Amino acid sequence: MKDLVLMVVLGVVFGFAYWALVHTWNGLSILMGPAGDLAQHVLLGGWLLVAPIAIAIIRRPLAGVIAEVLASVVEVVFLGSPVGPTLIIAALIQGVGSELPFALTRYKRYGWTVFAVSGLLGAGLVFFYSAFRSGWYGQDLFTLRLAVQCVSGVVLGGLLARVVVEALARTGVVDNFAIGRGRDGQ
Amino acid sequence: MRSVERSSPLARRNPSIKLGVLFLVSLVVMFVLDPVTPAVLYLLALVGVVLSSGAPVRTLALAHVPFLAFAAGVLVVNALSRPGAVLWQSGPLRVTEEGLSVGAALAFRTLLVGVLAVGFLLSTDGVALMTSLHHNAGLGARPTYAILAGYRMLQEMPREWSLIRAAHAVRGDRRKDGRPPGGPRHLGGVVFTLLVVSIRKGERVAQALESRGLGLEPRSTWRPVRVSTADWVFVAGVVLVVGVVLAASAQLGLLRGPGALFG
Repeated sequence: MKDLVLMVVLGVVFGFAYWALVHTWNGLSILMGPAGDLAQHVLLGGWLLVAPIAIAIIRRPLAGVIAEVLASVVEVVFLGSPVGPTLIIAALIQGVGSELPFALTRYKRYGWTVFAVSGLLGAGLVFFYSAFRSGWYGQDLFTLRLAVQCVSGVVLGGLLARVVVEALARTGVVDNFAIGRGRDGQ
Repeated sequence: MRSVERSSPLARRNPSIKLGVLFLVSLVVMFVLDPVTPAVLYLLALVGVVLSSGAPVRTLALAHVPFLAFAAGVLVVNALSRPGAVLWQSGPLRVTEEGLSVGAALAFRTLLVGVLAVGFLLSTDGVALMTSLHHNAGLGARPTYAILAGYRMLQEMPREWSLIRAAHAVRGDRRKDGRPPGGPRHLGGVVFTLLVVSIRKGERVAQALESRGLGLEPRSTWRPVRVSTADWVFVAGVVLVVGVVLAASAQLGLLRGPGALFG
């Protein structure tokens, strides 16, 4: 239960932070016009953060997928995202992508590389779904979109997640979770 | 964060059913890529939402702004970035027929899903939806109550946010003109504090829920949510309308699938 509530909490806090950011951002993206459509790829990695953070703290299979989906449910149901419930499908794909590298190391390794690959896969997998949903196939910008999104995934959705996890571990709030127990054992 | 109309016809439908219908329509239109079909569906949806949600027209119009802007962006980008029969050219910029058609299809789809989502949100209370998902859609008690606890925290978050900002302002360095700090670095700090405070709170909430016996079966519930005949009539109505529009569009030779993307 503790783990489950933590996943929801991560989703809610990031949901709220995005919501605050999106409000400041919306005006800017309207001003930028068509460029705003491309700017979404730059920021995409930010949406991935929840999954690797949840996995690194809870260290259990499916933690990332569940956290990502819960975060999207909070966004759709309580924050009123106009994207609608198909956002939950995107979240599921992102979660699977972000979780894969951790699953392959059997939830034992939490180095920079694993986080980076996690961000890359999270952004890369969901790209093909979004590309279909938003009709990016056949556009001239297809490769540019994919490249920007992957870079964003690695930096914002992978490496930044590790920075946040380290910072959280230092404050001691997550000592009662698997991450704290892992450190005691070392 | 948002207010909900409670007495309109749409508000009286079962929340899980509404969510399911919204999901179904969003999925179906994902495979439609001609401009006319989603435009017709959008107009029908708009009329449906205006008549059945009981929300003031002004609220609906304001709610349109974000996805209207997004739809406009999608249209422009597609018109400019798709190969095909050139309609207009100036330097590196060119507008193609295919680009306009696909762009308009995607823009109308954005509007359609947007107006349906707004209708859903304006007529559905978040707590009622979670209760309904628990009763009617088989969502477990643990995730249900974890999300509801998260919802409660979300409601308190604006207050928490200003509290943390005030605390930082009391302690922190002022800018040269004496205003409290407000740059991205500072905001990052506020978000991190919010995260730490909320994790701590979440742990206490989890302990409280468990010590009150959450997860024990069988549970009894206050105000059970039911699925009525009217809910099924609503589902049938929506499916019928979407089906008729798709069939008519196919008859007229207007309907196009994802193949439109690849020329």
